[in-house]
Amino acid sequence: MSTSPTEQVSGVSGRVDGNGRPPGVGRLALPSRVKLQEYALVGVVLALVVIGAILKPDTFPTADNLRAILTQASVVGVLAIGMTFVIATAGIDLSVGSVVAAAGVAGGLVVDSGAVAFVAAALGFGLGLGLVNGAAIAYGKVVPFVATLAMLAIARGLALLMSDKSPISLLGSDGVRWFGTGEIVGVPVSIVIFAGIAIGGWILLNRARYGRHVVAVGGNREAARIAGVPVRRVVFSVYCLSGLLAGLAAVLLSGRLASASPVAGELLELDAIGAVVIGGTSLAGGRATIVGTFLGVMVFAIMFNLLTQLNLATEWQQIVKGAIILGAVLIQRPERI
Amino acid sequence: MSFTRQLAAGVAALALIAAACSDDDDGGSADAGSEAEADTGADSSESGETVTIAASVPPTDHGWLGQIAAKAQEAADQWDDVEFRLVEAADADSQASQIQTLINEAPDALVVLPYDGEQLTPVAEQAMEAGIPVINVDRLFASPDAARATILGDNYEIGVNAAEFLAEQLDCEGNVVEIQGIAGISVTTDRTQGFADTIEELCGDGINIVAQQPADFLPDLGLEVMEAILQANDDIDAVYTHDDDMAEGVVAAIENAGREDEMILTGAGGSCAAFDRIEAGGLYAATYLYSPTMAGSAVNMARLIAQGRGFSDLVEPEVPSQIVVPPTEVNQDTVGDLRDLCFE
Repeated sequence: MSTSPTEQVSGVSGRVDGNGRPPGVGRLALPSRVKLQEYALVGVVLALVVIGAILKPDTFPTADNLRAILTQASVVGVLAIGMTFVIATAGIDLSVGSVVAAAGVAGGLVVDSGAVAFVAAALGFGLGLGLVNGAAIAYGKVVPFVATLAMLAIARGLALLMSDKSPISLLGSDGVRWFGTGEIVGVPVSIVIFAGIAIGGWILLNRARYGRHVVAVGGNREAARIAGVPVRRVVFSVYCLSGLLAGLAAVLLSGRLASASPVAGELLELDAIGAVVIGGTSLAGGRATIVGTFLGVMVFAIMFNLLTQLNLATEWQQIVKGAIILGAVLIQRPERI
Repeated sequence: MSFTRQLAAGVAALALIAAACSDDDDGGSADAGSEAEADTGADSSESGETVTIAASVPPTDHGWLGQIAAKAQEAADQWDDVEFRLVEAADADSQASQIQTLINEAPDALVVLPYDGEQLTPVAEQAMEAGIPVINVDRLFASPDAARATILGDNYEIGVNAAEFLAEQLDCEGNVVEIQGIAGISVTTDRTQGFADTIEELCGDGINIVAQQPADFLPDLGLEVMEAILQANDDIDAVYTHDDDMAEGVVAAIENAGREDEMILTGAGGSCAAFDRIEAGGLYAATYLYSPTMAGSAVNMARLIAQGRGFSDLVEPEVPSQIVVPPTEVNQDTVGDLRDLCFE
């Protein structure tokens, strides 16, 4: 395993052979398939940009709007990077939206002690809930769908309980607000963090042994075990990572919202899962791509921005959004399956 | 429907508020009421036979709904002749089965804030047929047979009042953005319609509604929707939002973009956070009370109906069948006087 090329999942390698093998078995089959999907998705993103530039020439293709789109993408984006690792192991994390709310409220409770306390509490609480998910799934042998569905309810309940059902104002904390509105050399902080997490995730998945383990566990758990992969520990860790990143997403969202709301993040899990799957990571596990996930997140973010800018009626927004998702998945299907 | 509402509204609403507030701030008028009532019969605040009242409400995870539960409980706690129980339901289906369970327990009256008025009409009718009077709060049932009495705010009127306020503030000229609640429910469509009709009537083409998007009463969605709208429109004079909680997110988006001096904003509901901002002046110019105290009033109505009595401030021996609470405007001039009515 350690002697083979490491680009097996990133789509960076130039190999084009082996299309059509079952996922996770022939690793040489992966580059072309994943790469094809990434190219197709770049096409979708470009198409959306061109449509936006034609329909809204004054307000869509501007640097300011690009910043707005990337800032909005950062919350779902951070979640989607974590979700990519979870789905790569053939798992799912339905709890991230609720964990965002709970982690934000946990931070809000200690915000009077400063922004560092807020961030530590949010990250710690997110990690803690992820740890419970991971333990239930890896060691308790609960199916991921069920374990994280339970956590979806528990985390939302905790958020409501801890906040006494009303939002906690963060207006007084400039430190927390910096994460939502501050800039680092002219680039919004949330974009810098999103970029950092995306690059870090790419390296972890494609250049580290950990990434190979994650994909191996998702591809064929028994084979991975025989090959010496610490399967349980890997499964446990991806849910911890997802929880930790949900805590980070809570920091980014709270900073922009200037409050920690117990009803924040509703249905965020679906956007995150949607972005990962559109990106080309297989729900069956064994195939994962961070570049694809990033592009999937951008499809959602650009679509939301454009549809809102066009002020399309809600009913049409829903139909157009569904059609774009379906179209994006259809055009990236390889010719032979 | 609005004809009936208006008929019932005028007299009944004021009388009810006087009766409902008899325990606190509005002491003056309540006292006057009790005295006047001494001529006509029993005082409705005197203890009567002990009655059991059950209340069923949607999940109280939204600021306003949380207060609905709190106000109902508060109202029940002030009476020693009321045994009260409140249950929350996650969705329309589970609320229907909860109400069925409650029917079997045969309370003397049932207070229902339906998740969705249409969907819960049949089960409310069952309760009425079983001899349990139903008091319908906020979201109207589809059939008049489904409730003995109804108390609700006037969503259409919120839109009308907000339109009148903004028309005056903008001198009927400018660009307005509307951030709506959950698409497709009557609360949202009424608030939208009242606003659109009145803006059209007062200003014709003078005011353009340049963007109209739902944000589901959620602050984080309000933030995201407003961020995109700000990108698309570089000249916005006012924002009409359907809810104070959601408006918090809209305000954050406007302030993050540094455009708070460009426009004014109105909310709806009456949260204390909105009151604070209105008092401070600037962007947040007004909100319209859609007071959760109506749940407290509903419990008081339920008590009197179950005891077979009427309001002591009304001549009629029975509780009226419909009460519409007017959406009082809270602006910088009135916020001080109305402070007690805000909810956390």
